Amino acid sequence: MTTARRWWIVAIGVLALLAAPLLVHALPVEDSAESATSLAARIQQSHDVPYSGSAESTGTLQLPASTQFGALGDLLGERTRLRTWWRSADDWRVDTVRTTGESDLFHDESGTTRWVYESLTATRTPNVFVRIPDASDLLPPILGRRLLDGARPDELSRLPAERIAGRDALGVRLRPSDQQSSIDRVEVWADPETAVPLRVEVYGDSYGPTDQPGQVAVTTAFSSFSSELPAASITRFEPPPGSTTRFERVLDFASAADAFAPQEPPANLAGLGGRRTSAVGAVAVYGRGPTLLVGVPLWDRAADPIREQLNSTAGMRHTTSGHFVGTGPLGVLLTDEDAFGTSWLLTGTVTPATLERAAAELAASGGFG
Amino acid sequence: MIRVELVKMLRRPRTWVTIAMLNALPTLVAILLAVTDVGPRSGTGPAFLSAVLTDGTLYPLAALAIVLPLFLPVAVAMMAGEAVAGEAQAGTLRYLLVRPVGRTRLLVAKLISIVMFVLLTVVIVAVLGYVVGMLLLGDGDSSGLVSGVSGTSLTGTQIAQRTMMAVAYVTLSMLGVAALALLLSTFTDSALGAALGALAFLIASTLLLTLDAAAALQPYLPTRYWLAFVDLFRDPILWGDLVRGLLLQGVYLVGFLGAGWANFTSKDITS
Repeated sequence: MTTARRWWIVAIGVLALLAAPLLVHALPVEDSAESATSLAARIQQSHDVPYSGSAESTGTLQLPASTQFGALGDLLGERTRLRTWWRSADDWRVDTVRTTGESDLFHDESGTTRWVYESLTATRTPNVFVRIPDASDLLPPILGRRLLDGARPDELSRLPAERIAGRDALGVRLRPSDQQSSIDRVEVWADPETAVPLRVEVYGDSYGPTDQPGQVAVTTAFSSFSSELPAASITRFEPPPGSTTRFERVLDFASAADAFAPQEPPANLAGLGGRRTSAVGAVAVYGRGPTLLVGVPLWDRAADPIREQLNSTAGMRHTTSGHFVGTGPLGVLLTDEDAFGTSWLLTGTVTPATLERAAAELAASGGFG
Repeated sequence: MIRVELVKMLRRPRTWVTIAMLNALPTLVAILLAVTDVGPRSGTGPAFLSAVLTDGTLYPLAALAIVLPLFLPVAVAMMAGEAVAGEAQAGTLRYLLVRPVGRTRLLVAKLISIVMFVLLTVVIVAVLGYVVGMLLLGDGDSSGLVSGVSGTSLTGTQIAQRTMMAVAYVTLSMLGVAALALLLSTFTDSALGAALGALAFLIASTLLLTLDAAAALQPYLPTRYWLAFVDLFRDPILWGDLVRGLLLQGVYLVGFLGAGWANFTSKDITS
């Protein structure tokens, strides 16, 4: 065999190996004539569909590094590997996978258990209406349905189908028409049979001086997906030997404020309608679909560490209402203390002007509707 | 031919000195953990290191996680880089090929010898890790059950089985490095040059893994799935990255070994 022939054999072999995944990727994707409105409606109705799979989310938002926000900064600013088994809204498990271990959420009707391998700790908390977002909120089905909630037909359009997790996923785009929104558009691709969202991309308008409008803020997508019902044993948590189990009544500062603060937020704020399904609670939640405005009343003991952190955050600016930081489409405004020692942490995917308007309205009403 | 290469590898003092040095760091870490009782913060440090504070049963895996990112590939690159270039440097390659031995067979024998060196090293790291872990960090719960990464209880048998699978996976993860160093070893008479070339490639791979701008390249980098052996201790086992890691090593093996074969079987041997 000649030298040239040997090298040709090697080159052809390597090219064949490299081309195999590209050929699979290049296979044509089957689309459907289904309207955007119908697809969005089917996506909203898919909440009872069981599924399991692996997903990965990537966030580009740089939240102020505060212990009060927990792991939210990592979730919105970094890459997160997820595994999930979803039997129903009251029976699911979501794992955040790391090379050093993992953090898991086991959810049932009475609450959620958070398992952290590195500390061998299981923490049980009750179900709450308001809490800081966790890994489960970044699952494509959860995020996709939340963003399409309340979408109007004139805001929706179809996108070409794409192959995601081995399925020919149907795409829909939402451009919010609310003037208060800081979201440019949301794109959701869903499984053609079950309409469970497989990939979600959120594009924002800009707050920060270096951000460009229309840049992707958060992406989350399944890399493998099954719509078969997962086994019940997978979503059940039994504390392993050597672990510590704790019970906590309060999940985070937002759920604590919602349960114990005396405020009763107004029905509408900054021109946005209320979003709460639970009437009782001090945390204000407004908006529709991707347009979200949240107001958390804080005592000085909770507000001061956040204010201190905002003070040392690059890009922070003082406004007439308080301290403001923007990252991509997300804005955070901590109002100055009122006469009763209460500050409002206003945040969400709304414009800075909307946050200012909300702060002014809350100051005028004292936080009571 | 294979037996000759294996005996040569086992009789070399360098083999055993390398293995001893590879085991020194995990042993030192175990001593420090036992004395200070201070583990890494959540999400930092090598895998399993925080969990072994309360249960030394998993220390073989922590020991593997300690040596895998740097020390093991350095040892593999040195051994593989020396395989052909070392013979040429010593002036013995010409005489080696005088025997009725095909060059392809010689190359395969060299690779098998390197793989056996990796397997021997990884097994010794795991066994010594187990002994050191049990002696210094204790054997955890009296029930014999061990907490898996996903918060489920694993029996001693499950841990043993999964540890053996981890040993096999780590060994196979070194195939790409070994094949690259072997390829470079056929191009040069400098064993050190071949080893450094392979290490430069691995350092570039490790660096690109930290760069968001290189996200599109990352699934194809040789070091991308090395630590996926941790996934064997999740429940259910997360097979995706393990399978991808093995396939990727297979592609590197075919590519680099094929190029090494094409070069070695064609070149003039002058030394």
